[in-house]
Amino acid sequence: MAKCTIDGKTVEFQPGTNLIEVARSAGIEIPYYCYHPALTVVAQCRMCAIEIEGMPKLQTACSTAATEGMVVKTTSDRTKQNQKSVQEFLLINHPLDCSICDQAGECDLQDFSFKYGSDKIRYEEERRTFVDDDMGSVIKKNMNRCIHCTRCIRFGAEVAKIPEIVAVQRGNHTEIVTVDNQPLQTEYAGNYADICPVGSLTLKDFRFKKRVWFLKKTETVCEGCSRGCNMELSHEKNELYRCKPVFNADINKWWMCDEGRFNFHYVNDEKRVISPRIRVGSEYRQAEWAEATDRAASVLKNTKMVVLVGSDLTQEEASFAQKYAKSLSAPIFHFGTPGVRNASEDSDIDSLLKRKSKTANLHGMEKLGIAPFESLPVGITCAIVLRGGRAKLPVLSNITQVGIGVFFADESKSYDVILSGPSFAEKDGTVVNSQGTEQKFKAAIRPLGSSKPLGEILELLGQTAKEAAR
Amino acid sequence: MSEVERKLSSKFYSEMDKLAPRYPTRQALLLPALHQAQEETRWLSSETMAEIGAYLGMHPAKVREVASFYTMYNLEPVGKYHLKVCTNAACLLRGADDLVEHCKKKLGIQCGETTPDQRFTLMEEECLGACGTAPAMMLNDDYVENLTVQKMDEILVKH
Amino acid sequence: MAETLFIQHFKDDSRPLDYYLGQMQGYTALKKALGMAPDDVIAEVKKSNLRGRGGAGFPTGVKWGFIPKQSPKPKYLVCNADESEPGTFKDRDLMRYTPHLLIEGMAIAAHAIGAHVGYLYIRGEYTREAKLLQAAIDEAYAKNYLGKGILGSSFDFDLTVHRGAGAYICGEETGLLNSLEGKRGEPRVKPPFPAISGAFGGPTIVNNVETLCAVPFILNRGGEWFAKLGKFEKSGGTRLFCVSGHVKKPGLYELPAGGATIRELIYDHCGGTLGDRKLLAVIPGGSSAPVLTADEIDVALDIEPMMKAKTMLGSAGIMVIAEGFSMPKLIRRITKFYAHESCGQCTPCREGCRWMEEVLGRIEDGKGKPKDLDLLLDVADGINGKTLCALGDAAAGPVTSFVTKFRGEFEKLMR
Repeated sequence: MAKCTIDGKTVEFQPGTNLIEVARSAGIEIPYYCYHPALTVVAQCRMCAIEIEGMPKLQTACSTAATEGMVVKTTSDRTKQNQKSVQEFLLINHPLDCSICDQAGECDLQDFSFKYGSDKIRYEEERRTFVDDDMGSVIKKNMNRCIHCTRCIRFGAEVAKIPEIVAVQRGNHTEIVTVDNQPLQTEYAGNYADICPVGSLTLKDFRFKKRVWFLKKTETVCEGCSRGCNMELSHEKNELYRCKPVFNADINKWWMCDEGRFNFHYVNDEKRVISPRIRVGSEYRQAEWAEATDRAASVLKNTKMVVLVGSDLTQEEASFAQKYAKSLSAPIFHFGTPGVRNASEDSDIDSLLKRKSKTANLHGMEKLGIAPFESLPVGITCAIVLRGGRAKLPVLSNITQVGIGVFFADESKSYDVILSGPSFAEKDGTVVNSQGTEQKFKAAIRPLGSSKPLGEILELLGQTAKEAAR
Repeated sequence: MSEVERKLSSKFYSEMDKLAPRYPTRQALLLPALHQAQEETRWLSSETMAEIGAYLGMHPAKVREVASFYTMYNLEPVGKYHLKVCTNAACLLRGADDLVEHCKKKLGIQCGETTPDQRFTLMEEECLGACGTAPAMMLNDDYVENLTVQKMDEILVKH
Repeated sequence: MAETLFIQHFKDDSRPLDYYLGQMQGYTALKKALGMAPDDVIAEVKKSNLRGRGGAGFPTGVKWGFIPKQSPKPKYLVCNADESEPGTFKDRDLMRYTPHLLIEGMAIAAHAIGAHVGYLYIRGEYTREAKLLQAAIDEAYAKNYLGKGILGSSFDFDLTVHRGAGAYICGEETGLLNSLEGKRGEPRVKPPFPAISGAFGGPTIVNNVETLCAVPFILNRGGEWFAKLGKFEKSGGTRLFCVSGHVKKPGLYELPAGGATIRELIYDHCGGTLGDRKLLAVIPGGSSAPVLTADEIDVALDIEPMMKAKTMLGSAGIMVIAEGFSMPKLIRRITKFYAHESCGQCTPCREGCRWMEEVLGRIEDGKGKPKDLDLLLDVADGINGKTLCALGDAAAGPVTSFVTKFRGEFEKLMR
């Protein structure tokens, strides 16, 4: 491997690697704003300019590939002076409204200001201001905070493949806009907020919801489709606030789609059934677990049963269901996305991430040998439907149904009993994505209400049935 | 983008079709197309830019992005006579600022504005490359050089 | 006065092809070049010590030599006719009076670098000149000086006039290439340099109008002859000097490269200052060149002597300022220009130019504070040498030199 020297340290590198990445691999931080490993290098912010021996001018680390024997200084006086001066330039027109900015606490401008900036403001002129136009339902634009890094423009053109965010005018008047304030069309708009290094593009969904330093973060996997994008759930006091993608080179890189990003909202939705519920005549009411399982056992008694599992369940949950079905000699099938019954019918929807299967574990179901649900076998009189929260419920007529897992109030009508279970955010478990990769859901919050793990519910149900039979 | 209604003339399209083989990309036609369209429409509306985008296979936002970078493209209506008076160094040394003040007073508008009768738009212009014959200005597509207050008055009266 | 290459032809009668053929040995150089190997053409141009007339002064033959012989992508020749550096107005006359000279120069250059496609990128404001050029190009096509199998050779060359639309930054060669491609005229990160990856990703040479106009002379009369026209070792040929501001006879002057000092140009050629006022300052190479005081003008008008005097010859736009004119007012206007023309891509230029403009504005309006002058120097220093393209330096250099050399004038406004 080739070697260069950064701040006196010998660092090995793959030829062609830029100095930001080479330094990073050695634990040396070169600050930057416009650079992003997924996007074209534009060398615009000038924050990453560093000194290279033998070169009279500072060089931008993002656009300079390391070469054998290169001697780089990232903390020389000239480098520091430039960082300080770039910081100052970026702040002269910045509103410094960190106290009400959603980016505060995760803002590169704020952090670098502290690390590389000056403690004095020399700017006495009037700050540049823009009127903030709307950009649609996902992103809130605040142009005054913008540092013109153009990551958003490049994300749209190069990753989302819709060049709908552009820079208009030029120089000091350059403004980031959508044409005639049209709402963003991309289904990946949330990523704009992620890649914006400042508070210029933030999520409307998260606006003024929480100061980020109060949030705890749990890394998990998206359940929105069979891609299995890695992500992080931010939560506080058992409530979910935000979801962000986590880099995974093989699966989602830096990105996730809006559907997946905002999917978590159902977890804390007030219509979600978070304690057992039984039908009394045409009404529903909440019940204790004992009463609900009794009721379920009596409903199931002397029926010809089928077990239907959502492909939104984890491998562990589906295995429990398989065992349960076996113990009752009942057939078991999976359901999830209409029209996508098995892995061969699952495919990419676009060139980025979205998949046809709207559940996370279709491929896991096949691994477990569970067949897709087509129609009710002859003679079936009752169905136990287990579901994680994403799978589209099959429409079953003229049979009794018991629901286990995540259901919503408006879905309860067809069910005699609902035994509430955990969503993906409240449980640990394995899912298999479309590439066949096993990944883990991690519980970010405790199960809501009195919801119980699916395995426990099935066990409870089994016991109750046995007792009733005795 | 294909459903954009064509409002630019057939001359526009035939000129552009003629020019197209001279460039290896469609996008390279953008500046010529914007010039040609502006010649027809005097200024470039959203609709015109969208039409050009559709013709060149470009997102309308990209057209706007490019058009707004260049000062010669009028993204707002301009008067029949577009006065662009150079006030850059060489012209300033030769009294361009007095000329601009004179125009403002005479026309009753500020730079960047158009007279209510839509006849004159006044703008301060950057160096026109006529420093040896300063002060200079553009009157629509033509240069007027060695300007004096009297010469300016004659022009304003004549038009 | 010694023989001039260009200026004697700067009259309306010179424009037609007949004049060019009859009076200027029109298209004989192209014929000659087509009979030579491209490398020999490049060698001849190297011998001539022709240096880029757009501002940077890079040896033209050397630049042409950077073009790879083999390239999977088409090569391009682009003429930079985006003349926009304040104080510069030579290319306009070359284009409107001797369009065929430029066309012939381009055809020769294209042959030398192996390009079959050329673009003449002319600033948008030169509407009339673009039309004149187009007419000349049409004539050239009709006579097979352009097109397929030029003059019976196997060389094809197509030339297209491409108009800019009002952006100084398109004079920067990579900004120009982006503009040519139908994009914002934002300069590109270098490397790669255009000779490797330029227009449409192909190897590209971008040459100034005056540079290309010199080429037919070099081919006709030899590189050595051209080199000897220059008064200094490294610079060949004559140069067009654009004189503006407070002189009695502003306009274009053609002199051997380095053939006069600034003082000689002003007093011997331009008739001295307007109204014989005392000379205050000279901006010698377009408005981006650091200003010289009246005591600093005994410097030869060539690239190296100007560098030694800590300024630059640039595009040879010489602006003369006589006493009585406010230097703070002038630098405010110059800085406003660079702020207006900053593409806005990179931080120091986008923010810094405007900041300097505002501070200078305050000072001129009598609201300056003594500490503002050091602030200006500091801001300029934060821009200088730290931007993506040379516009940052172009904006910072003048401010630094004005504030340093004319500090008293600024301080006067603060009392």
